[in-house]
Amino acid sequence: MKKSVLTILCVTWVGFLTLAQNVEFKSSNFKADKEGFKKAEAALELGDSYFEKANRLLFGVKDFKGNFIYAKKQYDVAQNFNPSNALLNFKIGVCLFNSANPENAIPYFNKAKELDPNCDPFLYYYFGRLAQLDGKYDDALSFYVKFTTDNKKAAEFTKFIDQRKKECENAKKLTAAPLRVWVDNVAILNSEKDDIAPSISVDGGDMLFSSRKKNENTPDSIGEYDFDIYASTLEKGNWSSPKRLTGDINTKVDDVVNTISYDGTTLLMHRSVNNQSDIFESKLVGANWSTPESMNTNISNPKYNDRFACYNHTGYKIYFIRDNEEAENGFQAVYSGMESKLRRDYATTTFLDVLNSKFSEGPMYITIKGDVLYIASQGHGSMGGYDIFVSKFVQGQWTAPVNMGYPINTPYDDFFYSPTVNGKFAYITSNRPGGKGGYDIYKVTYWGPDKTPLVATEDFLISSIMQPVNDNAIESKVDVTRKFLTVFKGNTIDLLNGQPVAATIDITDNASGKITETVNTNSATGKFLITLPSGKNYGITVKATNYLFHSENFDLPDGGEDNIVSKTIQLKNVAVGNTITLTNIFFDLGKATLRMESNAELDRLVKLMNDAPKLKIEISGHTDNTGSAAMNENLSQQRASAVVAYLITKGIDTSRLTAKGYGSKKPIATNDTESGRQQNRRTEFKITSN
Amino acid sequence: MIFMKKIQLFFLFTFYIGNYFAQVETLSAKEKAFKDSIAQINEAANASAEGKEAYNRGINLFGEKKLIDAVKEFEKAIASDPKFLAAYYNKGVAENELEAYLASASTFNKLISIDSTYTKAYFQRARAFQGLKEFDSAEKNYEKALKFDPNNVKIIYNYGVLRFMQQDYKDAIAKFTRCLQLEPNSAFYLNDRGSCYRMLGDLPKAILEYEEATKRNGNLAFIYNNIGTTKKKMKDFPGAMLAFNKAINVDPNFYMAYVNRGATYFAQAKYTEAEKDFLQAKQVNEKNAAVYANLASILILKKEFQKALENADVAIALDKYYGVAYLNRGIAKEMLRDMKGACEDWQKARDLGVDLGKSYYSTNCNN
Repeated sequence: MKKSVLTILCVTWVGFLTLAQNVEFKSSNFKADKEGFKKAEAALELGDSYFEKANRLLFGVKDFKGNFIYAKKQYDVAQNFNPSNALLNFKIGVCLFNSANPENAIPYFNKAKELDPNCDPFLYYYFGRLAQLDGKYDDALSFYVKFTTDNKKAAEFTKFIDQRKKECENAKKLTAAPLRVWVDNVAILNSEKDDIAPSISVDGGDMLFSSRKKNENTPDSIGEYDFDIYASTLEKGNWSSPKRLTGDINTKVDDVVNTISYDGTTLLMHRSVNNQSDIFESKLVGANWSTPESMNTNISNPKYNDRFACYNHTGYKIYFIRDNEEAENGFQAVYSGMESKLRRDYATTTFLDVLNSKFSEGPMYITIKGDVLYIASQGHGSMGGYDIFVSKFVQGQWTAPVNMGYPINTPYDDFFYSPTVNGKFAYITSNRPGGKGGYDIYKVTYWGPDKTPLVATEDFLISSIMQPVNDNAIESKVDVTRKFLTVFKGNTIDLLNGQPVAATIDITDNASGKITETVNTNSATGKFLITLPSGKNYGITVKATNYLFHSENFDLPDGGEDNIVSKTIQLKNVAVGNTITLTNIFFDLGKATLRMESNAELDRLVKLMNDAPKLKIEISGHTDNTGSAAMNENLSQQRASAVVAYLITKGIDTSRLTAKGYGSKKPIATNDTESGRQQNRRTEFKITSN
Repeated sequence: MIFMKKIQLFFLFTFYIGNYFAQVETLSAKEKAFKDSIAQINEAANASAEGKEAYNRGINLFGEKKLIDAVKEFEKAIASDPKFLAAYYNKGVAENELEAYLASASTFNKLISIDSTYTKAYFQRARAFQGLKEFDSAEKNYEKALKFDPNNVKIIYNYGVLRFMQQDYKDAIAKFTRCLQLEPNSAFYLNDRGSCYRMLGDLPKAILEYEEATKRNGNLAFIYNNIGTTKKKMKDFPGAMLAFNKAINVDPNFYMAYVNRGATYFAQAKYTEAEKDFLQAKQVNEKNAAVYANLASILILKKEFQKALENADVAIALDKYYGVAYLNRGIAKEMLRDMKGACEDWQKARDLGVDLGKSYYSTNCNN
């Protein structure tokens, strides 16, 4: 955004108010440079002639053409000679204000003010214009009031002052309710010079426009190039770098494109030659535009300046803008229709009264449906300079133009409205701040109707979301038992001669006291082979005819890896004096209390005694040599007696039984090892009578 | 020290081996064959025990909600015993809990192929198919399960939910009504029946059902919430506000009630109050997409488009199928001059069923 115009004005006023001195263009002020003065004075005079003409045209609502520019060129000569003349600064300011870059006038108006605030009554009028451009509408209104109050000739300019005041009021309303649009400078199309008149094809993919950028022609006396027509194409959403049209469509004079027909095959343009503008038509032949032909004299009339033409939707009418020397209200919108497209018999023009204001009207565009017309105007409800208005075709008539609103329109010049078919985008020309220089092409993007954001509501319509009914109960655990089997093999032999003995083996699960297996060994070999569940303690008793029964205790280890146990069982003949160790008799530690696990062995002994009724035995207890001899003898005696007592309770006659504790007197193994001591701790019975 | 220990171990080992071999005679061919057959039996017994142990570990892990690990253990059990039906069942249930419905359906397929009388498996397989949105298959399995167990309220209820999902609200009402016959005091079944009426457009009837449900159990915030959203639909804003307030009263951490109360304020153009509620909802549950989508709406109205975009982004990150968030993000993007992004978002919103997305896309995204 350009720096606030009003701020610049205020600051410079305060800063220079007491310093500056107005230097009049008098020869007495330039005695030292009389030659220079003469040149400056001549330039000033020539400049004034342009300036006055331009002003007459300006306030006559006519095209002031290049007169302000020519005036400024002369004024620059004088200004170089004497930069401290208030009136000259004011005039240069006016020249610049009425250019495509009005803000360039600010320093000159400021200087004029500081040198002599009363140098020209229009100084406040232009301060009002600058404030208006700056969007300071109330300040602008104050300046206009001051201009009216202070200037005796203000009444002659009532039309303009009233319009300016209306513009400020319009601007306040329109800026308070901005349109839902973006207006973006299309940088790739624009240059430091004037880039105007964008005309887009119906599909929005091609654009023609005119630019005063440097071309192959010779610039005019003030260094400006003529307008030529350029083309650009929309590629992936971006406009391509513009290319100057080749052929005769561009000449050494101003060639300004006006409108492309809806089918894209013809265009209307105007050319300005010697301050006379006329409307031409060109046709697309292949990829090139034909040499433009001047329109029928009812449209391109040498008496008038005709420009800014557009087709209507039927193609039978051409709407355009016309002025003449006599017209009081500047350029006016007119149309000319034809009856035959073959004859192209355009009739005399008809003024579009409803579209015309007391000020100049500008470029027009009629939509493909023919129901909407866009027109630029300096009058009507403008907010300053040219604004774009919309009129609708209702019941055979165009409605009064309505300002399209801010920010499509600004207090600057905004015109050349060229919309896409869907109305989502449009292109305009404007000299608003922020451009590349002069007039630039801008893209208007409509947001469309106000977009309402949505808010969501949430609910759990189904309870199971909150309270799942999934039945995620699973099946129960199972017992894990590892039942491994061990192969138990072996043979039964006679202890003395080693010969096989046919025997019966009972295998007892000591934990349950139940016989789990009974196996007969082979009569020829004495061998046996069975399987037993692993991880248990077993007792085995072996019976054979004429042999003392044999018993022993053993563990089968848990697990399935070592799955075989082999054992050779030696049997003893039942002969007086034979001694048998009862290996499955268990006592509590250090006591003579028989443990339950002993019952099976004891019951086997009971059975033996019952089987052999004549048998008399001595039950003997033995210990290892740990502890005192007396204590060992006592314990072994008690243990032997406990066994005898058990047998008696089972019905064995006392006379057949004796109990004897030997303590550690009769070891069968060394007492030096734990294994030996374990063997020595034992209960035996000896056959004393048979 | 370590060396000495090794020496001791060596002697112990040789002692043991010596004793062992002292007992083992050379085996005949028959004895060896016998021994080997016993070894095989032992091996099988060991494998079976390990499978059962894995199965039991799976149950423990299931109880600890370590479902993935539980599935792995059940798989081990099945590997050791391919006819271990309970392991299949538990694996399938765990997969359902994990919402791994495809795996679950496959597990129950296998189980039922081994034992078609395993009745519980049909219910679970129906769950899996429901999760897979294979509603016809789910339906068949519920029917089968009901043949075995016609008064199982869980089966009937889930079947009703299936009907609801299939938008067969009338049949869903019949199912929920049957549930209420079996468990007359259930607030849940009443709520769900109310939701069926709501979906059928009979909003007053829905309200009656919801209100009856709150009489049976006044501590269920979500039912008050349903009353609120239904009343909001009926444009009964005061009634809706009252219901949401009750929901919050019952459960101050029920974020949904804040979201919906905020939306009700929004509908009445009370944007400050709406924003307050959305922020409160965010405080309670910062992982809910609606909260951020709605905050984006407020920020759009405040013309804070960048913040709106960021909130919509969060909503979409939380739920990539949240159409409202795309719609709002599209508006924010448009205002941030990202028209291409805006059009993509409106298109997405449209595809996700947000009508406004369709309208915005068609009016803004075609040159």
